[in-house]
Amino acid sequence: MPKESTTLIYGTNLSGYRIAYALGKLGYKTVLLNRGSYVDEIKNQVLSQLPLDLCWACGHMPQRMFIGLGAMQVFYNSDILEVNGSAGNFKVKVKKRDPYVNNFICTECEKCIDVCPVDVTVDGEQRKACYVHREMAWENIYQIDETHCTRCGECEKACPTGALKLDRPEEIVEINVGAIILSPEFDEPDENDLALFGWKKFPNIVKSADLARASLSTNFTQESFVRPSDGKLPKQIAIVITPQFNQKGIEYESYNASAQAIYRANKIKEIVPEIDVTIFCREYRCFGKGHCRMYERAEKNGVRVIRTQSISIDEIPDHNISIKYEWGNSHKEQNFEMAILIFGQKPPQQMEKLKKICGIEANEHGFCKLEPFTCAKTNVPGILAVGEFTAPKGNPETVWEGYGPVREILRHLGDKKIEPPKLPQLKNVSKEIPKIGVFICSCFGSFNEKINLENLANRINSIPRVSKVEIVEGCCTPSTIQSTASKIKESGVNRVILAVCTPLQKLMKFRKTVTMAGLNPLLSEFIRLREDVIQVHDDPEKMESKAFALIHAAASKLKNAQAAPPPMDKMGSTAMIIGGGITGLEAARYLSEMGFQSDIVEKTDIIGGRAAILSTDIEGHEFKPYLDNLIKDVNASKLITVHTQTNIINVSGYAGNFNVSLTKTGEDQFELKPAIVIIATGALENKVDIYSYGKDARVMTQSDLEQKLSQINNGHVAMIQCVGSRNPNRPYCSRICCSQAVHNALLLKEKGVDVTLFYRDMNLYGFKEDYYWQAIDRGIKFIRFDQHNYPKLTGSDDSLQISCSDYETGDELKISADYLILSVGIVPDIQNNEKLAKMFNLNLDDDGFYDVESCACPYEDASKRLMKPFELSSNGVFPVGLAHSPRSLIETLLMARQAAGKASVVLPKPMMPPPNAMYVSEVDADKCVGCGLCVGVCPYNAREIDPVKKIAVVHPFLCESCGACVVACPSSAAFLRDHREEQMISSIDALLAV
Amino acid sequence: MNDIKIVAFLCNWCTYTAADLAGTSRLKYEPEVRIIRLMCSSRIDPVFILKALMDGADGVLVGGCAPGDCHYSKGNYYARRKVAVAKTIAESMGINTERIRLSWIPASEGPLFAEVVNEFTEKIKELGDNPTKNEVYL
Repeated sequence: MPKESTTLIYGTNLSGYRIAYALGKLGYKTVLLNRGSYVDEIKNQVLSQLPLDLCWACGHMPQRMFIGLGAMQVFYNSDILEVNGSAGNFKVKVKKRDPYVNNFICTECEKCIDVCPVDVTVDGEQRKACYVHREMAWENIYQIDETHCTRCGECEKACPTGALKLDRPEEIVEINVGAIILSPEFDEPDENDLALFGWKKFPNIVKSADLARASLSTNFTQESFVRPSDGKLPKQIAIVITPQFNQKGIEYESYNASAQAIYRANKIKEIVPEIDVTIFCREYRCFGKGHCRMYERAEKNGVRVIRTQSISIDEIPDHNISIKYEWGNSHKEQNFEMAILIFGQKPPQQMEKLKKICGIEANEHGFCKLEPFTCAKTNVPGILAVGEFTAPKGNPETVWEGYGPVREILRHLGDKKIEPPKLPQLKNVSKEIPKIGVFICSCFGSFNEKINLENLANRINSIPRVSKVEIVEGCCTPSTIQSTASKIKESGVNRVILAVCTPLQKLMKFRKTVTMAGLNPLLSEFIRLREDVIQVHDDPEKMESKAFALIHAAASKLKNAQAAPPPMDKMGSTAMIIGGGITGLEAARYLSEMGFQSDIVEKTDIIGGRAAILSTDIEGHEFKPYLDNLIKDVNASKLITVHTQTNIINVSGYAGNFNVSLTKTGEDQFELKPAIVIIATGALENKVDIYSYGKDARVMTQSDLEQKLSQINNGHVAMIQCVGSRNPNRPYCSRICCSQAVHNALLLKEKGVDVTLFYRDMNLYGFKEDYYWQAIDRGIKFIRFDQHNYPKLTGSDDSLQISCSDYETGDELKISADYLILSVGIVPDIQNNEKLAKMFNLNLDDDGFYDVESCACPYEDASKRLMKPFELSSNGVFPVGLAHSPRSLIETLLMARQAAGKASVVLPKPMMPPPNAMYVSEVDADKCVGCGLCVGVCPYNAREIDPVKKIAVVHPFLCESCGACVVACPSSAAFLRDHREEQMISSIDALLAV
Repeated sequence: MNDIKIVAFLCNWCTYTAADLAGTSRLKYEPEVRIIRLMCSSRIDPVFILKALMDGADGVLVGGCAPGDCHYSKGNYYARRKVAVAKTIAESMGINTERIRLSWIPASEGPLFAEVVNEFTEKIKELGDNPTKNEVYL
């Protein structure tokens, strides 16, 4: 039986969206099951932990795009009922009920609201039974309140596009799919789970996620953190990281709880410095990129961080909050006017159901169990689980998991079904005199009520070169796109102005309309008639003259417009991987299994890297068999070439077309032409010379200890964490030392060795926290010390004398030990990183690791790059693994897979349009004098002076069409196709003519 | 006094989107402002600002991303320099530099856009007609 080529995605977490995106790009169809009635009704992780209070377009944009292309189908109010069959040929029974308003054809005219006769007051807010759900700033969701709606049917009659239908019966459908992705959302702790913290019991205790969601459309401002009880600004705020104090098993702490707390504290402090902000936690876990720096900033801002083993929260008069906490051997108490809770993640509530329907297994924590060393494979072939369904996760991991399993999914899919629609033949109008057609959208008649479109049309008729003015119903629903396109065609114009609405959501539709009429979109302009005129002003006369001015300016701009095809550039199909460690090998194997050729460049004479000396990790992963297997596969693959003892000497080119010169010791220089580059150069262990390390053989690092573990069978071992790190010189956490130390401590303890562990914060995150409790149970002693008061080695005769003052009481403690083990952490290979970063035009972060914006932390820096295709946002270079940031081996493998997954989305394409812009900056060769000013101002290194012709050239792949070069150019040689100098000037003239 | 005219050069990613948001949220603001979209505020040429003032604009607003948040990394800083240049020239032409304003308005701040427009319109109304309108020539 041939395999199906559709994939079913259950749930709307970010991984699921990313998988849909990746598959859509590869030409496979996906069906997404959303249990809610609109896009974000069920909150996923991003909307729950989001520390940056920004919009979240990356989940929505692909959805809109792929629904439009027919590559994606979304079922709302849906659920999975039954799964039969096996990988490649699943038969899935699902139920679904379409939403009342199909927002894909809704034009947001709001006629339905105008005619709705039912007034409702909910939470003090007056609205109709038909209303806009305004939780998300970027999309208006029209809804019908089922409890109040009288089903009079007025709204349905009023709807001009047929988007609104009251009769939406539940249907049960059977779909055939090749693979099933389980990506249900994050489960927020509820009232009962947070009972210890008084949430919902006391009014002035709020969840951080609620603050984030409330501020989505306004940004986080002073109004965002007023006391709910009286609307006043609190003078003291407590921030509590609840999973660290809650009963075990209720909620799990994810990647960014601590970061979220510190981020929130910083924000509050920076908006109103007078507010006292105190964070309560047990451990401050700041292992993400830049998180330690955030902590330092908080210290400067005067945020207090109290580390305590337990707290209790109560209300005191005036709805104030009192927090009692353990300190030393006594209790302390402090009062606050408001408390913000940073919560963790509950075990997934969908687990039981999915276990029954899909046959998957749960782990001991109630999350979905995965096969070891994989990032998504469950025990059932063809069913994959991703994102927060498998463990408490941070946003970066969740996003990466969207690309990681692409290879695994494709194994179960048949031939592709979706072909991108063919572009209609575009007319060549270069020899014609400009004839401008103005098409004014009436939004199905709703604009007429606010502004006299007839008058406007008459005035526009007088604009020179305008040969046609017509009022159309719209150009954003399938039928109106068709009708407007044919009206444009009939009118015989060769330039088009669409006076319509927001391009944010509809730009593609406008472009489609113009393209269907046989014109290049460069010959069109869009006016935001609704957002810039109709909805924001009241005076009809002024509205009309503003609309006229805007259209006049657009017409002047258009008369000089010239058509041109979007630039295309060839895309190679091979990859180069720098570094033959486990990360690089994993990426190479992934790519070879996808059918792509790759070259591994390794400077030493063997591959395998540092993983070869690792044995197991705290979770029991055995690395040796995995690595051996990996090396075997790499050596056996015909698609992978390994170049050992090879160094890179020069790099030129850009994404899709790199040119790399290399030398191999003892051989001639050679060249590679990869399309994408994966940097997996790893990092180094920190070298320290304190605590007599190197002088006294009894003082070792954790990795030294691992080699000697079999020789230590009794006595007392002391360990010190954060040696030489998390200080002003190296303000970052190496993420793996705590689990390594506890792992070694547990192994020693098993043999009867006493272990004392000095630490600042135990970074055992997620499920790893279990091992901390295990270590305490087994009698391993944990002693916390302060950043400014590290333990001291006071004597080293028969035994090592270590003294330390207690974090809370300040009492001096003295222990004697036979061995002292230092957790020294990971340092970047600065020299190498700087060299490669320079060659590939990458940035290093403040700590010396690679910093590629959208790679760094998809939610932290990537926001500015949301509008770009994800897979080329780092311009074809993907730093992964330790080269990017400290992380465990398993996390490193995920990074390798996501980079290879992203690469395999672009490598099959022979030609690619520039990823960043539709029309890029260009050079008029006749005018350019080669002064090079434009090269200096370009933020993307997209311009250079041609060494032969001595004039500027642009690499379209790197250009983002900002126009900085255009302004800098003293001889007007640089230009942007859609914003030429003469176009701009004449549109300013026209704008002000009336 | 005639109706005043304000030209707003807005960057595609932040301020133009903020204006979009103001529109979709149906916020009301003063109608004298007329928008020209640029990809980046760094595309603002001092000539555009002066041309607008000479053509009869009473005020010019340039809107870009907030510092550190520029879609194009540092375009907004370039814009700042260009606006400074335009102000210097405007001053020598006898134009009150308060008629030229640069504002950082992030994409998510529709209300801020409306506020800035209202405030700037107020300011321009206070300053009255641009006295050099149609009088200076380069």
